[in-house]
Amino acid sequence: MFDKIAGRALVPVGIVVTGFLVVCFVLLYAAIKQVVIRDSITQANNLAGIVLKSTRYAMMKSDAELNRAIIRNISAQNGVQHVRIFNKKGVVAFSSKPEEVNRQVDKKAEGCVVCHEKAVPITTLGTMQKARTFKNASGDEILAITAPIYNEAECANAACHFHPAEQRVLGTLDIGLSQEATLHSLALIRMQMLIFSILTLFLTIAGVITLLKMIVLVPMRKLQEYTERSEEGNGTARPPHLPYELDKIAQSYYFIRAKLNEIEQKPFQGPKNDPICQHK
Amino acid sequence: MEQAENNKTGTMGELARDAQGQLRQGLLEEIGRLKRFSNRGLWALSLFLLLSTVAWRDFWFLPRPQEVVASLGAAPKPLMISLVLVLYTFSAIILSLSRMMAGLRHPSSFCHVGYLAGFYLFYYFAEALQDNYWAVFGAGFTILCLESYRIWTFCSDQIGKRSEQLAFLERNGRMPPEEDEDSLYD
Repeated sequence: MFDKIAGRALVPVGIVVTGFLVVCFVLLYAAIKQVVIRDSITQANNLAGIVLKSTRYAMMKSDAELNRAIIRNISAQNGVQHVRIFNKKGVVAFSSKPEEVNRQVDKKAEGCVVCHEKAVPITTLGTMQKARTFKNASGDEILAITAPIYNEAECANAACHFHPAEQRVLGTLDIGLSQEATLHSLALIRMQMLIFSILTLFLTIAGVITLLKMIVLVPMRKLQEYTERSEEGNGTARPPHLPYELDKIAQSYYFIRAKLNEIEQKPFQGPKNDPICQHK
Repeated sequence: MEQAENNKTGTMGELARDAQGQLRQGLLEEIGRLKRFSNRGLWALSLFLLLSTVAWRDFWFLPRPQEVVASLGAAPKPLMISLVLVLYTFSAIILSLSRMMAGLRHPSSFCHVGYLAGFYLFYYFAEALQDNYWAVFGAGFTILCLESYRIWTFCSDQIGKRSEQLAFLERNGRMPPEEDEDSLYD
């Protein structure tokens, strides 16, 4: 394979095109994945904000039944895996799963440790820091948002129940959303990109092979056959029409061969008393 | 007098034989060197595969990215690293193809392993190695395969040339007339 022009020419082309396409494919997919995941986190954050706003009035009125109804209705929405509200001590006050209510959550658990890693817990988090991903018991990928419920002037001054004004965070909302739709979209994008890359690779290699064969390899083979035929038959057949420089090579070969034949056919007329021809 | 002449002729013959032996030895050594040099690309590729295995296991012996970021500052964004990686891959391929075209003897394979290790580390510290691992692997594999191929074809051509010179030396007792080195690649 490597002792022929085709092998020597096509191997580097194949390596370069395939490799560069793979690199671009992986990098582009990683960039798209990052954008899609960032968007889904932003949307999940917005949803957490909506839930907090929806439950605010019920919390102000200390209406547990209304809170439970809101959480039950939101969790019935397609794609919402769980909704929980924790109080300051880390006890589940409201949950879409009634069996979780009044359970204590470990502060070192995933989702809590982000704020409770140090002795003094963090009270503000960026959009991306609020998010975490994990797999639930049934193996589904879940994106969860942990949003702090901040103390506001109305909460601290409310008549129904009292939170000291210096208490910054009253509790947290934990909402889990199924990543199935996002992962499905990513798989679709990946598949489309893969098909596009394979087609591009196939077309590039096929194009290079076709052009190389048409312009170089087939004419080279014809030239080789012509020279071999001339050598064997000792004749001076006209060369086939070949493209570009190869035609000039074939013509030159034809004229050299014709000259040689002419010289060979002429009877030898060396000068008399030529010392070179006086072999013993 | 005649004996002195004979001695002189004998000495000349010995000198010629010595010179021929030296030339022969030189050519054989050069062929040996070229054979060893032709494996250089494969050694670099093996080293890169070893490095990739370490990267695949998430550089278990290095400090965690958060610790390094805390002491050195934030790593470049993954998008920036990816752009540099594309630029590097493109340049390295063009450079390798140019060297292939010019028929240069350039032993550059191992420095590419160093550059690629840098990319692995930058992605690791930016906590984006998982998503971009195959990009660095693909880039490294492509560049090092191309470099291996370049070095191997260069060495094969040179070994062929030296073997012809050796055969000529054995037949005629002298080296063939010098050829223009670049004639094959003009």
